[in-house]
Amino acid sequence: MTDPVLKVTDLYTHFETQTGTVKAVDGISFHLNRGEVLGLVGESGSGKSITGFSIIGLIDRPGQIKGGSIKLEGRELVGLAEDGLRHIRGREISMVFQDPMMTLNPVLTVFEQMAMALRAHENVSNTEARARCIQALRQVRIIDPQQKIDFYPHQFSGGMRQRVAIAIALLHRPKVIIADEPTTALDVSVQAEILVEVKSLVAELGISLIWISHDLATVASISNRIAVMRYGKIVETGPAAEVLGAPAHPYTQMLLNALPSRSRPGQLLATQESHKPGGESKTAGWIEQKSPNFVSVKHVVKKFERATGLWSRIGVKLNLMQPPKAVLAVNDVSFTIAQGEALGLVGESGSGKSTLGRIVCGIYHPTQGEIKLDGASVVSACQRGRKLTTKVQMIFQDPFASLDPRRTIGQSIAEGPIAHKLTTRANARDYVARWLEAVSLDRAMADRYPHQFSGGQRQRIAIARALAMRPDVIVCDEPVASLDVSIQAQILNLLLTLRSEFGLTLLFISHDLGVVRHLCDRIAVMYRGQIVEVGSAESIFEAPKQPYTKMLVDAIPKLISKRPALQDA
Amino acid sequence: MTESAIKPRSPGGFWTEFCQHPVAVAAACVVIAVTLLAIFAPLIAPQNPYDLAGLALRDARRPPGFVGIGGYTHILGTDSQGRDLFSAILYGLRISLQMGLLAGAVAFSIGALVGSAAAYIGGRVEAFVMRLVDLQLSFPAILLAFVVAALLGQGKFQLIIALTFSQYAYFVRTAHGAASAECNKDYVEAALSIPMSGWFVVTRHILPNTLPPLIVVATVQVASAISLEATLSFLGVGLPPTEPSLGMLISGGFQYLLSGRYWISIYPGIALIVLVMAINIVGDQVREQLNPRLKK
Repeated sequence: MTDPVLKVTDLYTHFETQTGTVKAVDGISFHLNRGEVLGLVGESGSGKSITGFSIIGLIDRPGQIKGGSIKLEGRELVGLAEDGLRHIRGREISMVFQDPMMTLNPVLTVFEQMAMALRAHENVSNTEARARCIQALRQVRIIDPQQKIDFYPHQFSGGMRQRVAIAIALLHRPKVIIADEPTTALDVSVQAEILVEVKSLVAELGISLIWISHDLATVASISNRIAVMRYGKIVETGPAAEVLGAPAHPYTQMLLNALPSRSRPGQLLATQESHKPGGESKTAGWIEQKSPNFVSVKHVVKKFERATGLWSRIGVKLNLMQPPKAVLAVNDVSFTIAQGEALGLVGESGSGKSTLGRIVCGIYHPTQGEIKLDGASVVSACQRGRKLTTKVQMIFQDPFASLDPRRTIGQSIAEGPIAHKLTTRANARDYVARWLEAVSLDRAMADRYPHQFSGGQRQRIAIARALAMRPDVIVCDEPVASLDVSIQAQILNLLLTLRSEFGLTLLFISHDLGVVRHLCDRIAVMYRGQIVEVGSAESIFEAPKQPYTKMLVDAIPKLISKRPALQDA
Repeated sequence: MTESAIKPRSPGGFWTEFCQHPVAVAAACVVIAVTLLAIFAPLIAPQNPYDLAGLALRDARRPPGFVGIGGYTHILGTDSQGRDLFSAILYGLRISLQMGLLAGAVAFSIGALVGSAAAYIGGRVEAFVMRLVDLQLSFPAILLAFVVAALLGQGKFQLIIALTFSQYAYFVRTAHGAASAECNKDYVEAALSIPMSGWFVVTRHILPNTLPPLIVVATVQVASAISLEATLSFLGVGLPPTEPSLGMLISGGFQYLLSGRYWISIYPGIALIVLVMAINIVGDQVREQLNPRLKK
């Protein structure tokens, strides 16, 4: 190892906005050696993506590189004209983005897009381009590349699309690839595959890689070195094992301690306010399990049928058309939740777990089957069933979308309790204040609008709204999926304390097995609309019976993993 | 990153942006000025055109600048009954604006409610309402208004019904489109999961969130209601002669146009054009600012 491929010194990227200068990248220095994988970790807003964009020269106005230098093999990139940058972009430094659905053009075939990328820097004949694209696709383990190359992006799955994006990035054999959260949008099992493949590609081709992610665990499993970013500065950098094993900076320690997989299930996680893990919570067996069938879901089926118009119905009758296919989102699912229990529902995207959650909460009417809460139906029997009970409430994944942007949070929280006579209009303010305080928010915040809050605060508001209805059961649909690790820890702690305080029964839906294990007593695994395995949290993790469960558990990126011979690449 | 993009802008931001467009500001000033003129017409107008005793047939059809028998200057001339044209225009604006705003408001309320309720209810109700609206929109608005006005007869109330009837469909369309998008959002589901009643969800959640596109339609529709009213009055099926709107003034001077007495028709016409254009320019600017798709 001689000179580093990429050397960044004292880089400042600032955004001039009306309200002042945002120092997105505030004086960072790092280097990247040949064949090395550098993990760039940080929470949202830490400037890690802007660092990537600065290197490849894609900073849009009002952003501007204010100072410092970026040297690619000794050549200075800062201050280079757009023309010069275009020569480097794609050929010497290329980028892989988070969402391949957004970066691939939906109206062009994969080949057309790859050829375009190829011809940006080289003059190649059609046959040669085709051969090289097929070669590139084969390299990222796309099966049957001769045929797949003429597919459109929508014909690929999310993982395959990301592979195509990686293949395009690899076309010109760049010296450096910057991957910006490339696996964040993918399922955990697909993510595991991609991680393995990228690792071997890096070793095979001798590429240097900057892997930007918010997820310490994925970064740990792929990187040689890790740089931790916060507020536009690198707070700590060093070999992966060192940073994760013995973090020197308190922020890194906090990030690590906030991970649910690092602490004992049921324990409060360390957050910014308290670096030491908090006291043992009283969740484990705090309530004598009164009724084992408190929530009972029996043979629930949910079919989504496309609405058929008159003409298509006539078409089907005349055998001119195929009847529209119904999507079977939930296929004959039965389970029970005991009073005070937390049941985790895990599965990959499209497994029907969110639909099932909405059925339990009474938002969707099941096509068949019934849901009972303490012996009473949740929805009325008729076709367009109405929800009968207020005892089941829901917390949604995206707290911003689930709060009406045109109503103050006080109005949002109070509307349900007023309508269901839990409080009166006159007492609403005090009632709202009580629940805001229950989720550790200030009562004065009741008059603000949702956009005035941070993501974590909004999720607290959503929790307050659910709690204000005095529910017995709360369905949580990925409540922490859109939050940073440290905020996630705060929300999980809040849920743990509230659960014991109010004796809540939880149905916790998540794709993140670490979170589910931390919070839940039992876990149900869903796959293609069916529950394939139910068991206690330990048994699912330690001794999974079904192969699918086993695969899911194995696919979780482990924080400290033994790295194979990658360092010598 | 995405959060800042969907953040609703504060009202302050809206006006700051609006003020950066001189044409729109000028148009807004014209609208305000015309509205004020119309409101304070009895104080400003030199003559009360309703007061028959103040009219002198001797002064009929005099050109602008003529000093009449009452001793004051008719700066825009007089019409065929000897009315001061400037005063008649002011009173005409009053009636035209009144009609336009009232019809617009009624059509707005009906359309917004029907449209968002249809989007929320869905299924056959939605299909029926929307096809009915499509059917109605396939006829020219002027034709519908004309037929309804002719059936109901003359009068302010009848005219408002006719104008509303020909305009509410645009609001239904727009409200339905915006509400369909809102219905799929999490906050509607969140409200339903409480459970809140459908009426509450439609009126408190969906409707307020569909307002921006509706406001845009409303400005354009008020302008078109004003010109529609003028057209109907011109054709003689609108207001009775006791309520001289701009359309009737134009129609009153129509026969003298070729004989050189241009002012009787032209000045009310200019007033009408200025008013409708100013409202449309303001409406265009509002649309530009409220529609995120037109944003760069």
